[in-house]
Amino acid sequence: MTVASPAAGTEDTGGRPVVPGGWLGWVTSTDHKRIGLLTIGTSLVIFLLMGVLALLMRSQLAQPDLHVVDPATFSQLFTIHGSGMIYMVLTPFAVGMGTYLVPLQIGAPGIAAPRLTLLGYWLYVLGAVLMLSGFATPQGAHAGGWFSYPPLADKVHSPGLGSDLWIAGVLLATTGVIIMGWTVLWTVLRRRARGMTMLRLPVFCWSMIASCLMVIGAFPALLAALALLAVGRADASVFTSNTWNIGYQHLFWFYGHPVVYVMFFPYLAAVAEVLAVFSGRRFFGYKGTALSLLVFAALSMSVWGHHMFATGQATNDYYSLTSIALLVPAGVEYFGMIGTILGGRIRLRTPMLFALAFIPQFLIGGLTGIMVGTPVIDYHVTDSYFVVAHLHYVLFAGSAFGLFAAVYYWTPKVTGAMLSERLGRLHFWLLVVGTNLTFLPMFALGYQGMPRRVATYASFDGFAWLNLLASIGAGFLAVGIGVFVVNVLWTLRKVALGRSGNAGDDPWQAHTLEWATSSPPPRFNFAADRSLPPITSFAPLLDLRERRASGAAVGAEQEGASGS
Amino acid sequence: MIQRRVFGTVFTLESAVAAFVFLVVLALVCHAVVRRRAGRQPTPSDRPQRPVLEKYYVGVLAAFAAFLVAWTAWQNHEEHRPPNRTPVRVDVMGFQWCWKFGYPQSPAKVSVTGTCRGKDLPTLVVPTGRPVELRLTSNDVIHSLWVPDLRYKMDAFPDHVNTFTLTLDHEGRWRGRCAEFCGERHYAMDFWIKAVSPEEYDRYLHGQPIGTGTGTAT
Repeated sequence: MTVASPAAGTEDTGGRPVVPGGWLGWVTSTDHKRIGLLTIGTSLVIFLLMGVLALLMRSQLAQPDLHVVDPATFSQLFTIHGSGMIYMVLTPFAVGMGTYLVPLQIGAPGIAAPRLTLLGYWLYVLGAVLMLSGFATPQGAHAGGWFSYPPLADKVHSPGLGSDLWIAGVLLATTGVIIMGWTVLWTVLRRRARGMTMLRLPVFCWSMIASCLMVIGAFPALLAALALLAVGRADASVFTSNTWNIGYQHLFWFYGHPVVYVMFFPYLAAVAEVLAVFSGRRFFGYKGTALSLLVFAALSMSVWGHHMFATGQATNDYYSLTSIALLVPAGVEYFGMIGTILGGRIRLRTPMLFALAFIPQFLIGGLTGIMVGTPVIDYHVTDSYFVVAHLHYVLFAGSAFGLFAAVYYWTPKVTGAMLSERLGRLHFWLLVVGTNLTFLPMFALGYQGMPRRVATYASFDGFAWLNLLASIGAGFLAVGIGVFVVNVLWTLRKVALGRSGNAGDDPWQAHTLEWATSSPPPRFNFAADRSLPPITSFAPLLDLRERRASGAAVGAEQEGASGS
Repeated sequence: MIQRRVFGTVFTLESAVAAFVFLVVLALVCHAVVRRRAGRQPTPSDRPQRPVLEKYYVGVLAAFAAFLVAWTAWQNHEEHRPPNRTPVRVDVMGFQWCWKFGYPQSPAKVSVTGTCRGKDLPTLVVPTGRPVELRLTSNDVIHSLWVPDLRYKMDAFPDHVNTFTLTLDHEGRWRGRCAEFCGERHYAMDFWIKAVSPEEYDRYLHGQPIGTGTGTAT
């Protein structure tokens, strides 16, 4: 280990004792596990709020010409739903997972720069609160969409205070995520235990390397875009010029495409870990997958213009080339996942169910992604419900399923208690039905001509029954998420009451180092009296079990030989 | 309607390939779940990778990607080939929240707009069989002109003119919409595009309303 662990309980608190278990102990903690859990917990709470906004939208769109909410409110709903899910849920959750898991997986006692990490978390919380507080202002929250193109988002066309709060909130939250991304990357590069070479890093750590590289490389472009928007709100003449309008789009999407992969890789890698563990074998095609993540991250920096095919101001051939090229690294990742389960011995526990559903569902998002990366198809389907369906297959049917796989898989490590398997299965099936019922009809709606972000539609448009199906699906999603919340709260309550029963250090027979310590792990991750297992590959615990099994077999053989 | 034809060709091919890939992956997942369940006592494979197979696989993927990029780029250029005769020009202006269609070549300086409230939708009149060049702009925020039946849209920016050419081969009336979110009444920013015979179009440019041309006999 490269950092000396201070003796437990002697953290510098400026002279005043802070009770470690108290709320102050939590919100000022420099323990990466607590910062990670705070981030994950905060993003899950915002996730529920954003889900409520989505349900309001699906109620409004369930039938033509409804007036559940007025158009101005509807615009706020989809703006905050999109902004919240992207800036405040899926991205921070991914980085929060990295904050919690990366030091454990590499055998480190802590994260690099823990105070900075904590600062990142608080900037994120502050940003989320600022953005949401827009609902409390007279004109309501920001209503310019999650990418807020000027001139619509300038002071003339969006005069409300909510827009200013949105800019400030997204800026702060993104700054926080950038800081956290830095410390996670620093940790995985510089804080690895002895023996943990780069090619012995778990797949999840590789995904965090790729994600953090994109965070560092691309997220500052969002800060620049937001700064441009802020300047334009101060001086309205800025956005009378086409240069700055199209310039904003370039800046924004330079961030806006890599962020999709930041919201994808960590969940993909969580799925990869789950697939390998519940297949009882090491992940197949490890090197190819690690390399493909890096290639993917590099290419992601060159594809932004495919969001601008219909602007008439982008080099469509070039962006189409780089976008379609992404199918190569994506195909390599699928090769690894499919190869893992084809040669496995599959245990269908809840995390595995979510991981298995991720494979075909995310694939729908990926394959339609190639379509929207093709200019002649994109001209028709961009800014329509086809794109809404595509991005929800990527981020919900894909990433959110990976998120739930991760939650079910790592909860026993984090809390020491298992989530209910029965409720988990119910959650899973409700979510599979709800996801596909909600988002599959949207492909047809977009194809038939329903633009995205419409507050309502006419009865003669012929969109009614597909929208109704989508809204019924949203009901399934609501119930499914409700079951999940009950499951989590129930388990946490049992833990608090001490009635949970102990899940043990390694309930799943997993492969990576976080399962070689107690559940939950001690303050500095690995107790001093318990040495790390030898790190012989990216699956050290599997190696250990295999050595023990072969050792036992050899022992039994020798015993048999000496007996004859 | 070259846009619709090209879209149809490319969308059909990509959908077919996508459906095939999806079914193969789904079949593999189902196969694994059924045949490799722990209950059937399979032995987990200890083969960590298959580099040779993976290399061939990457080769196939790269070749397919190269084909797709080249072929669809070629289709895109076909779609945007300059028309072989001088197009009719229409100036399209998007505004919050409706459209204005101006005919600069018309002797009567015909210009059409509406409120996009209720049934008051403006109609973009074009001749059949002749290329029509739309010059798109906006006088406030970004809009996007989308004719779903044409399978094509293009954004209308303030301080910028985008152009595209369309040719409608038969008479009819289609719905057009705004696709780029542009504020509160974005959902209502619709228009009609109506293709009429070149003769009727000519009369239209001289200021006669559509549909009244045949009865005038003085």
